[in-house]
Amino acid sequence: MTDAAILKNVSFRYANGDAGALDALDLTVKQGECVLLCGSSGCGKTTVTRLLNGLIPHYYEGTLEGDVSVFGRSIRETAIEDLAGIVGSVFQNPRSQFFCVDTTAEIAFGCENMGLPEAEIRRRIDNTVTDMNIQKLLGRSIFNLSGGEKQKIACAGVAAMLPELIVLDEPTSNLDLDAIDELRVIIRKWKAQGKTIVIAEHRLGWLSGLCDRVLFMENGGISAEFTGEAFFSLPAEKLNSMGLRAIRTANNYLESKTGTTELKPFDSRDIITLNGFIFGYGKQEALHIPELDLPKGAVIAVVGHNGAGKSTFTKCLCGLQKRFKGTVNINGKTYRAKDLMRLSYMVMQDVNHQLFAETVLEEVLLGADESEQKTALDILGKLHIAEYKDRHPMSLSGGQKQRAAIASAMLAGKKLLVFDEPTSGLDFRSMECTAELLRSLDKDITVLIVTHDMELIDRCCTHILHIENGGIES
Amino acid sequence: MAGLFTADIENRGLVLDPRTKLFVMITLVVFALGGTGSDIAAVRYGTTAVSILPLILLMTAKQYKKAAVFGFLYASIKSAEVFLVPHITGAALSIIGLCCLIFVRLMPGLIMGAYMLSSTTVSEFIAAMHRMHIPQQITIPLSVMFRFFPTVLEEFTAINTAMKMRDIRIGGRNAGKFIEYRLVPLMVCSVNIGSELSAAALTRGLGTKVRRTNICKIGFHMQDLTVLLLTAALYILWILGMIGVIT
Repeated sequence: MTDAAILKNVSFRYANGDAGALDALDLTVKQGECVLLCGSSGCGKTTVTRLLNGLIPHYYEGTLEGDVSVFGRSIRETAIEDLAGIVGSVFQNPRSQFFCVDTTAEIAFGCENMGLPEAEIRRRIDNTVTDMNIQKLLGRSIFNLSGGEKQKIACAGVAAMLPELIVLDEPTSNLDLDAIDELRVIIRKWKAQGKTIVIAEHRLGWLSGLCDRVLFMENGGISAEFTGEAFFSLPAEKLNSMGLRAIRTANNYLESKTGTTELKPFDSRDIITLNGFIFGYGKQEALHIPELDLPKGAVIAVVGHNGAGKSTFTKCLCGLQKRFKGTVNINGKTYRAKDLMRLSYMVMQDVNHQLFAETVLEEVLLGADESEQKTALDILGKLHIAEYKDRHPMSLSGGQKQRAAIASAMLAGKKLLVFDEPTSGLDFRSMECTAELLRSLDKDITVLIVTHDMELIDRCCTHILHIENGGIES
Repeated sequence: MAGLFTADIENRGLVLDPRTKLFVMITLVVFALGGTGSDIAAVRYGTTAVSILPLILLMTAKQYKKAAVFGFLYASIKSAEVFLVPHITGAALSIIGLCCLIFVRLMPGLIMGAYMLSSTTVSEFIAAMHRMHIPQQITIPLSVMFRFFPTVLEEFTAINTAMKMRDIRIGGRNAGKFIEYRLVPLMVCSVNIGSELSAAALTRGLGTKVRRTNICKIGFHMQDLTVLLLTAALYILWILGMIGVIT
């Protein structure tokens, strides 16, 4: 068996980074092997994937020492575009890995760049599409696809180029459980075709039985190596102590009955009543919840399959859905649809969209009076970001940005906080921090979390609300 | 929102070759915007006729709403020019007259631009540029822009939503900083997406030395011929006018 990739004594430091991303790393990937790279954020696993596809050193700048070769080609001397037919890459963010706007052109894109004859490209598209069973995705507009469908098209685009080595960098962080299952099938097929596969990933469960070898990375080096079998039988406590997500979660809340269920004993004092949460796009009814009671002050996970109506529900609840007519009743006070925007606040998946000011303090005070400065500082202190009050919000880490957004919502007196997938792409420690934060919020504030993350639910939610087909069955 | 700049390939109606669209665009710039041959009556009427063409094209691409909005705007400005301007005098004349003059000339080109962007896919665009022997150094950056606009619009919509929730709006407390608040997150998100997009494109071989193939089929059909003949007629009228056959 030949070696697909050899990294010898490789150190790398990003041009604008303080610490080294990789430190004297040695790694040999055999042809036909499926290797998983895991470890907490910043351990260097993404850097390894970037070395394999040539983005380092050709796109991301920095100082590289040591030798990297892929199928006998030195990575330094091979231009990144010449690696295209040999190494295929699937990335994390479905929003930013598509070049064309229609699916067929997208699958053809890589082959077109390689200058293959048209007949050959058509043949490859046919093969790939049949192989992956995605006939019905051909000829669609990228903007009308779900996250899972987009990721499938990305895989197809890579597969059509017939690369020997396929590198995946956190491919599931925007996917729900069903979509992950489908990705698993695709990877199994690649494995059967004898492709070499390297995956950097936080979510581990779906890879059980797929990976031959698991490398645990810490501080830019490989600190432990497991066979696939040994790794996937490690107990959850052991994984968590390594800073890794659990492989299996005890509960799959998607199997629970629809409606609200209490997970932990909760002393509910007041009830928030939602009335007439009914909404449709055109003739299609997307949401049908005539009446629903939520315990005030609870932390409620909103679960359901893709397309179940979760996001329509939260949009309505935040007053963001035009033409929505429902009401929310708290303590005898009724909020109509247009008042809901003052009552509730959504923390978006990409927090970058909702930070506007020049410093964290200014951000929190935005829209409030100067006199509230003291309260603002109190809130920042409670959320452990007081020391960053003079920093630019965009210069904070992901978790800190999330806190800044929450702080601004709290000062604005919002009583309902809605989180959209707050832990997608987070490692174990960051997820624990988020869970801790959500648990510690004021009892006055009711939190709804739209999430697929069962570990997060286990850690911080008091209730779950399961929505399917736009509604709940009583 | 994204539909403003991208072709909805699932429901696109009549398809024209990108080169036909380009020819119509150039003609509109020459005659409607540039006012070429406006001393010849026949050319003047012809220009008005060709100016309405983009609206018809929008309708053939099943973009009825856009066609209606643009049609209404153009009709009101054109009728203001024809019926209102001759009856007013003084300051009002200079202001309204000037506005009408500018917009009547500009609108057809703008509408055509909207039609071009919303009815051409990236691959059609690249194929057309390739057929016209435009070098890749020009085609690739332009095609990236094609892809980038709708993404920026998506980001913009998300930021707008976030601002609504924070009660930042025109006329609100922070009206003065309205633009800054919008631009900062937009730039951060655009830079992130732009850099990820280029990385993804590079790993898939964009920019190799080999001659790129294109599986996208473009070519001239009946509809192209019709549009081209209509547009070319304007040039013929102009030449006839120039040599004095018609006035």
